[in-house]
Amino acid sequence: MAERTLPVVQTAGVCKTFKDFWRRPRVEAVKDLTLEIRPGEVFGLLGPNGSGKTTTIKMLLGLLYPTRGRISLFGKAPTDVSVKARLGFLPEESYLYRFLVAQETLDYYGRLFRLPGRVRRERGSRLLDMVGLAHEAKRPVGEYSKGMARRIGLAQALINDPEFLILDEPTSGLDPIGARQIKDVIRELGRKGKTILLSSHVLSDVEDVCDRVTILYGGQQRAAGDIDVLLRKADVTQITAPLLSAETIEHLRELIVRLEKKDILGVSHPRVRLEDFFLRIVEEAQAANIRTSGARAGGVLPEFLQKPTEATTQEVVESLVAAGASRTVSIAPPPTDEKTDGAAKQEQEVLEQLLGGGRGRVEAIRPPGIASPAAHRVEPQRPGSPIHADAAVIDALLKSDKGRTSEDGESGA
Amino acid sequence: MSKTWAVARQMIAEGIRMKIALVFLVLLGMVVLGLPFSIAGDASLTGAVQSFLSYGLTTAAVLLGVLTIFMSRSLSDELVDRQIFLIVTKPVPRWQFVLGKWLGMTLLNAAFLSFAGVSIYGMAYYIKHTHPPIDDRYDARELVREVLVARHALQAKLPDFEKPADAEFQRNLEEGLYANVPDFDPAAERARLAKKSEARWRVVGPLERRVFEFENVLCDRSAKNEVQIRYKTEVSRYPPDEVFRARWRFGDPRKETAGYDFPIRHVVGRHHTISVPADAVAKDHTLTAQFFNHNPFVEEGEFGSIIEFRKADGVEVLFVVGTFGGNLFRLLVIMLCKLMFLAAIALLAATVFSFPVACLTSFTVYVLAGARSFLEEALDFASGDGATIFTSAKEFLAQSLALIFDVVGWLIPDFARFDAVETLVNGRNVSLVWVLQAISELVLIKTLVALALAMILFHRREVAEVSL
Repeated sequence: MAERTLPVVQTAGVCKTFKDFWRRPRVEAVKDLTLEIRPGEVFGLLGPNGSGKTTTIKMLLGLLYPTRGRISLFGKAPTDVSVKARLGFLPEESYLYRFLVAQETLDYYGRLFRLPGRVRRERGSRLLDMVGLAHEAKRPVGEYSKGMARRIGLAQALINDPEFLILDEPTSGLDPIGARQIKDVIRELGRKGKTILLSSHVLSDVEDVCDRVTILYGGQQRAAGDIDVLLRKADVTQITAPLLSAETIEHLRELIVRLEKKDILGVSHPRVRLEDFFLRIVEEAQAANIRTSGARAGGVLPEFLQKPTEATTQEVVESLVAAGASRTVSIAPPPTDEKTDGAAKQEQEVLEQLLGGGRGRVEAIRPPGIASPAAHRVEPQRPGSPIHADAAVIDALLKSDKGRTSEDGESGA
Repeated sequence: MSKTWAVARQMIAEGIRMKIALVFLVLLGMVVLGLPFSIAGDASLTGAVQSFLSYGLTTAAVLLGVLTIFMSRSLSDELVDRQIFLIVTKPVPRWQFVLGKWLGMTLLNAAFLSFAGVSIYGMAYYIKHTHPPIDDRYDARELVREVLVARHALQAKLPDFEKPADAEFQRNLEEGLYANVPDFDPAAERARLAKKSEARWRVVGPLERRVFEFENVLCDRSAKNEVQIRYKTEVSRYPPDEVFRARWRFGDPRKETAGYDFPIRHVVGRHHTISVPADAVAKDHTLTAQFFNHNPFVEEGEFGSIIEFRKADGVEVLFVVGTFGGNLFRLLVIMLCKLMFLAAIALLAATVFSFPVACLTSFTVYVLAGARSFLEEALDFASGDGATIFTSAKEFLAQSLALIFDVVGWLIPDFARFDAVETLVNGRNVSLVWVLQAISELVLIKTLVALALAMILFHRREVAEVSL
C-alpha cells in the first residue's frame, strides 16, 4: 500500500461560537481545537453530550464555518467540492428521504458522485447485502426502524468508496447485532487503509475500533493519544491461563510473594461479553430460519471496499513539496477499474517529469519516524475483531481465554 | 449537469410520491370537469366556452402558483430535517443543488400545465359539441370565428392631430387670444388643441362620414377568407330602441379591391363584429373602412344622433393567424414563465427563511406581482402630482412605499402584463413576440437574478447553523 504523508485532517486553533438572533455570542461550542488525523488511522472523537464532537464534525464537513482557526481536509478547505468526492459521512441520525426506497436512496447518492449506472446498481446491491437489508431494498425508508435507517445511512456513506469516513455515533439506535456488524465494518475498512473518524460517547465502541482518540469536554481537548498507551495499566500485570486448581493458584501466589514481594490482587474466571453471548443466541435463531421483518445478517465488506486505499497524484505531488528535495515518492499501484490505463500512464509520466526526466527512482516512501500503516497501527487483538461473526466464531470466542476478567473489565489483549 | 439532473429527478419523485401531484390533479380535475356543468355564461355557446376558458385557466394558474410555493417546502424541509447534511457533504456544488431543485419544480410545473392544457382544450371542444345552442348555426359559427381561433388585431391608423392643432394655435396666436392668459404655456396649449382635434375626429355627426385606414393587414386576401371589423359606439342621444342605424363600406376601388356595403342596426354601447370577405384588403395590405352616419333603412327615417368611437374601444380589424391549439400552447408557455419565476423566488425565500416565513414571503411576491399595476397606480395617486414630501403623514407613507416598491420593484415583474387569458378567451392571438418577451423578462432576467441570489445565499449559509 502506498504511503501518504499529508494528514487527512488538520485543524489549528479552531473555535466555534454560536450566536443569538442579534449576533451576540452565546455558546462557545469548540475552543482552540488543534488535531491531526493521519492517513489510514481510525481516530476516535470522544466526549459527553455537548462536548463539541458533532460541532467539530460539522466544521470538518463544511456544514458549519469556524469562528476562528483553520481547518483543512486533504490539504484543502472543507467547503472544497473536490474534497467531498473523497469523503463518506454518516450523521448522528440518518437523514434520509422518507419517500425513497432503500435502493433508490443509494442510487440517488451514487448519482451525486456521478457514478455510472452499472456501478451504482452493483454497489447499491452489495452495500444492502453488507448492512443486511437486501430483502428490504424496495421498501420506503420512511417505514424503516431507526436501526434499519442507520444501516442505510452507513451504506450511503460508503457508496463512493471513500478514503475518509466520518461516522457520528454510528451505533446509536442499533441492536447489538447491528452495532457489532458496524464495528466489524469499521475495523475492516481500517485494515484496508481507510481513514476513519469515529465520534461516539459509547466508550466500548471507540475502544473496540480506534487506534487513537481525542477526548473533548466543554469544547476543549482534554486528552489525546494512542488508545493502547492511554489505557494501559502500567502497574498491573495480568496472566491468563487455562483453568487452574486452587493449589496451583496458591503456589503461584507464594511464588509471586517470594519473588516480587507483592500479593495477587484477585483471581477469577473471566466471563464472555454479553454482546458475544447475545450474538450467539440471535445467530442460532437466524440459522433456524425464524422469520423477522428487520435487518438480517450482513457485515461482509463488499468487494469494491476491499481494495487498499491509494494515494492520488495530487497527494503525491503535495508530499513531494512537503518532503523538500526528496526524489522518492509514493505512487499509485496499477490502475484500478475506475481509472483508465491512459490516465494512470499520464500520472506516471507527470511523476517522472517531476523527478527530472525519469532519472529519479520512483518508489514508496515513509515519512520520518512512521512505519507502514500496518506496522504503525496496533492490530486489534480484542474479541469482536472477526469481520462476520458466525456461530463457529462466537463459540470460539466463548471458549477463548482472551475474554475480559470479571474484576476490571479490561481487554485481555 | 448530471448532479443537477439527479437533484431535479429527486424533486420530481418527491412531488409525485408526496401526493402533491395527486392533490393538484384532483383539484384541477374538479374544476375542469365540474365547470362546464355549473357555469351558464350569457347562455350562449360562445359565452359558455369563454366562461369555461376564463375560469379554467385562471384556476389552473392560481393552483399552480400556490403549488409552486408549496413545492419550495422541499428545500425548507431538507434544511429543517437535515437531509441537506447528506447532500452538501457530497461533491455537489451548492449552486447545482439549487438549480436542480428549480429544474425539478419547473419540470413538474410543465407536466401539470400540459395536463391542464390538454384537459381544458378537450373540455372546450366537448362543450362546443354538447352545449344546447340558442341558435345552432349562429352560435357555433361565432364560437369558431371569435373564440376557438387566434386572431391578430390591428387598430385603425390615426391621422396626424398635431398639424391641425399647430395651425389652430398659430391662428389663435395671431388673433391675440392668448395675450391676457397668465402663465401661458404654449406646449400645454398645443397638446390641448391636439387632444381637441382627436376628440373631434372620433365623433361622426349626422350625415357625416369617417374613414378608417388599417395597415399591415397580412392575411390571405382570397374572397373565401374573411377579416373582421370590431367596434363599439356611443351616441349623443339614445334612440328609443337603443339601436343606431348606419352604414359601413369596406374596400377601396382605387386600389382595385372588392367593395362591400353593410347597412347595420346595432345596439348602442356594445361591441359588434362585422365579417368582411378578405378581398376587400388591397394588395398593399391596407384596408379602408368608411362609416356613414345616416340611416340606410329609408323607411325608418333619420334619427340624427352624433356617434362617437371612443379611444379606449377603438375600431379594430381582426384576421386569423393561427389555431386555438397554438394559441393555448403559447399561453401555457407564458404561464410557465411566470411559474419559473415564482419557483426561483420561492427557493430564494427557502434558502433564507424557515418554511412559514418563506411561504409568506413568496405569497407576498406573488400577490405584488399580480397586483403591481394596480399598486403602482394607487401609489402614484396617493403621492399626488408634484406634491412635496412630508406635507402630510399619508403622503410621506405613500412616498416611502413608492420608494421601497421601486427598489424591490425591479425584481418583481408585472404579471398583469403577461396575463394572456383574456386575450385567448377573446380569440386574440397570443403572439410569439409576447411569449419571447415573457421568456426574456421573466426567465432570462428576473428568474436568473432570483436564482443567482438564492445560490449565493445558500452558498454562504451554514446549513447546520444553530440560532440561539
